[in-house]
Amino acid sequence: MLAPENQPNDDYEPVTGLDQETIACVRACESEAAAKTASDYEHIVWAYGVIWSLFAIYGVLLWRRATRHNVEVADLQRRLSA
Amino acid sequence: MKNFLPIAFLGAAALIFPTTVATIFLETPIEAQMGTVQKIFYFHVPLAWIMMLLAVVCGVAAGIQLRRDSKRAEAVSIAAAELVLVTGLGVLITGPIWGHATWGKAWTWDARQVSTGLLWLIFAAYVLVRHYGAAGSERLAAGLAIFGAIDVPIIYYAVKIWKTTHPSNDVAGSLPESMWAALWPALIALLLTSLALLLIRVRQELTDVALDEAWIALDDAALPAPGDV
Repeated sequence: MLAPENQPNDDYEPVTGLDQETIACVRACESEAAAKTASDYEHIVWAYGVIWSLFAIYGVLLWRRATRHNVEVADLQRRLSA
Repeated sequence: MKNFLPIAFLGAAALIFPTTVATIFLETPIEAQMGTVQKIFYFHVPLAWIMMLLAVVCGVAAGIQLRRDSKRAEAVSIAAAELVLVTGLGVLITGPIWGHATWGKAWTWDARQVSTGLLWLIFAAYVLVRHYGAAGSERLAAGLAIFGAIDVPIIYYAVKIWKTTHPSNDVAGSLPESMWAALWPALIALLLTSLALLLIRVRQELTDVALDEAWIALDDAALPAPGDV
């Protein structure tokens, strides 16, 4: 009697693997997709960065203007009390 | 209450922004033709809508300023024009970044790009005239703002009238629900931020006017009366 691992198996399919040409083609596609994704993320970071930087810069300009107003109001109050 | 509103808007925007970005990158599907770079759309398009809305607000406020000589309308017009420059610059930079990745060319001189560029230049002229113009130039600036607002429908219909590389206006309507789920919060967050900055700038402009009047009144009070000389 044969050991279980030596018994013939109808489901058995030998691994044949991919030929070198297909492997090279798949690798090329994967590499192109990875490069596209990396480039896409670079573009996204720039775009999002630009939007938030613009709002932040305008916010800083408004804050500086508010500071100038406070100085001017204090100056006016000093003149009035003098 | 007036001081609280901009802070409330900015606070709400600060909460919505991170969740919007998380939704865009973790939940929204990757667009089949353009790939990941299409995610620029979720901020580029709402920013363009806000830019056009602010240009119309500026034009209407300038019209009221000319007709009723209203200082409040003038302040709204100035604040809206500055924000058109901020949002417009955002649109004009993010658009070419997206175009560079999808069309292979940042600037194609298509009608929507050119009309948006013109809108930005008109409002840049408005801000420069307001800043450096002589007395009376505020009426010329108001005219420029109205002229700029007329450019808004041209931007909107540019893709219908001319053959452009920009997609048609129907794209937004045909978006799947999963993409709208990211577009709405992005629009609300940008709108709240813009509205907060607009309110702050309007108040600053009104403060400027009040301070000018206070200085003039103080100088007048300090001058000796004609009979005293």
